[in-house]
Amino acid sequence: MTVGPFESAPRPFSRVMVANRGEIAVRILKAAREAGLGSVAVFSDADASSLHVEVADEAVHIPGESLAETYLNSEALISAALSSGADAIHPGYGFLSERSDFAVAVVEAGLVWIGPPAEAISTMGDKISARVRMIESGVQVIPGEELTVPDGADHLGVLASCAARVGYPLLLKASAGGGGKGMREVREPKLLRTEYEAASREASAAFGDGTIYVEHLLTGARHVEVQILADSHGSCIHLNERDCSLQRRHQKVLEEAPSPAVDSELRQAMGAAAVKAAQAVGYEGAGTVEFLLSSSDDFYFLEMNTRLQVEHPVTEMTTGIDLVLKQFEVAAGLPLGIVQDDIGISGHAIEARVYAEDAARGFLPCVGRLSTWKIPQGPGIRVDSGVRQGDTVTIDFDPMLAKLIVHAPSRPAALRRLDTALSDLIALGVTTNIDFLRDVAAHHAFASGSVTTDFLDSSDVSALSMPEADPAVLVAVACASQRLGLERAASAGDLEASDEHTGHSGDPFRTLTRSFP
Amino acid sequence: MEWSVVEGTGRYTVGVSDSDGLLSVSSMQLDGSSVNPPDISISRADQTGQLKVEISGASHLAHVAKVGDDWWIHMDGRTHVVRMHESGSSEAESVQGGMSAPMPGTILEILVKQGQRVREGQTLLVMEAMKMEHRIQAPRAGEVTRLHYSVGDRVDMGTTLVEIGD
Repeated sequence: MTVGPFESAPRPFSRVMVANRGEIAVRILKAAREAGLGSVAVFSDADASSLHVEVADEAVHIPGESLAETYLNSEALISAALSSGADAIHPGYGFLSERSDFAVAVVEAGLVWIGPPAEAISTMGDKISARVRMIESGVQVIPGEELTVPDGADHLGVLASCAARVGYPLLLKASAGGGGKGMREVREPKLLRTEYEAASREASAAFGDGTIYVEHLLTGARHVEVQILADSHGSCIHLNERDCSLQRRHQKVLEEAPSPAVDSELRQAMGAAAVKAAQAVGYEGAGTVEFLLSSSDDFYFLEMNTRLQVEHPVTEMTTGIDLVLKQFEVAAGLPLGIVQDDIGISGHAIEARVYAEDAARGFLPCVGRLSTWKIPQGPGIRVDSGVRQGDTVTIDFDPMLAKLIVHAPSRPAALRRLDTALSDLIALGVTTNIDFLRDVAAHHAFASGSVTTDFLDSSDVSALSMPEADPAVLVAVACASQRLGLERAASAGDLEASDEHTGHSGDPFRTLTRSFP
Repeated sequence: MEWSVVEGTGRYTVGVSDSDGLLSVSSMQLDGSSVNPPDISISRADQTGQLKVEISGASHLAHVAKVGDDWWIHMDGRTHVVRMHESGSSEAESVQGGMSAPMPGTILEILVKQGQRVREGQTLLVMEAMKMEHRIQAPRAGEVTRLHYSVGDRVDMGTTLVEIGD
């Protein structure tokens, strides 16, 4: 029996179950293995042959297809942990990661919760209580209020007067959630009703709660967020900022660290505000305090994400700190072991979110089988992927396939590395946003570091695209492929090529869980 | 066999000459008229699913994969799709001017009526798919000649939702 890393920690654990799927489950399961911990994955019917199942020591099937039966089913997840001998649960992001009742249930089941205290989750998860707490702690907030419609009252009247108090333009948000779902902009009163109804419907569908929060929309602002780390011994530090200003309908597209708009003085001020925000809720673990940064360098608290973020790798690349490992250590009750002065910035990192979506058709999610999936390699290139070659992309889940992260000594060098790496990322069989990502990253507005959060939504996306290839050449290549019988070669090549990335070369059993139509 | 670049216009026919696995284009027609064939030679690369493509003397590597009637091509850092057609076949089954569901989902809202005139880009209906709302917009101006579904209906990918006539 080998001794695990946290055997003698205040809250010891040795086997982590990840209550999630996709790239983040893969990321955390690998981190667990690297830390010398056991790893347990969970999977729904649709995920039986997904990558995260393969990288874990053990995988537990949670029967069902809907999210409510599987990744949102806290009872089934906890019993999966108990039955598999896991003694800690990491929730990843999304799903149950920001549900305080889940955090409570995990602890009540005698398991270690790899996340912040339930009280911090619930305070920050509720936009109203978060605002109140921030105002009390002296952190500046954006004007806004939650829409409370008394039973039987006319919601339009309440809505209109609330909108007038907050002031146009408005941003309607789901009180219960984030990630762009249930979020709508309203620039003039006549659109208020339709946008409110759409936002409320999306909020109900995504979070089971249609309550809407009405906020004043700051235009021409940047989205700058600060990563914080806190332990259970009273230490709290920040790991600098990430700039996620390049967004489309409030979904982040490219994220980078450091922010081109933040100098060291502003970094210190925002970092201090983020630490204050975290301490105000007794935070522990890794968390992110999101701010809107105005063109005059004023910053306003947006919300705190009490979990690991999708874009956490850019912080890891520029600080050299493994955030998932830190989450494990803090959960085990160990001190951070680093102080604010230890945190530096090394070079520049950019993350591009690779989605199965069609930029030319309103970014509609796309489905299909990834008959070719080759990821770029080289110094300063990291790919956090949730898929392999041969996998089928379905509508069951979020269409994010992978994250491509580059790291280089300077921002211009990182931009060049990003472009090269994106051009070497090959996805055939499913339409992706890879070409769009290249176009946007090369756009002078992004290259000069001057985009604000409204840039993509107010630009004509089709005008971004680079000149098309010569159709005659493409037709000749297709015709030659057909003539040379590449279709047979390509499907026979699946197995060989996918093994390259899974490290299961030559294992005949690998094919048993895969489909090769 | 005829070929078209998806999202592009026109049908190509291609004459290929094969010299020991090194292919070149001897003739090319676009919509029935001869066009200059590209100065190109193509052969298998060492790895499966890859081609060596030499265009006017410069060499490129292409990754290709066939899905249905489509050849997916990755070359020079960009992804393209070229579709194969039976010679003389008409434009797929897609209804002229019809708007089809881009993916499986549910109809949330229908914003137009049969007989209504719409402008290009006008939102016709709203669908929910993958927990997000998507607006289906008119590809061109015209009159709504048919609405195939009602609010709440589940639709499969590719089903025609609306037809627009002149």
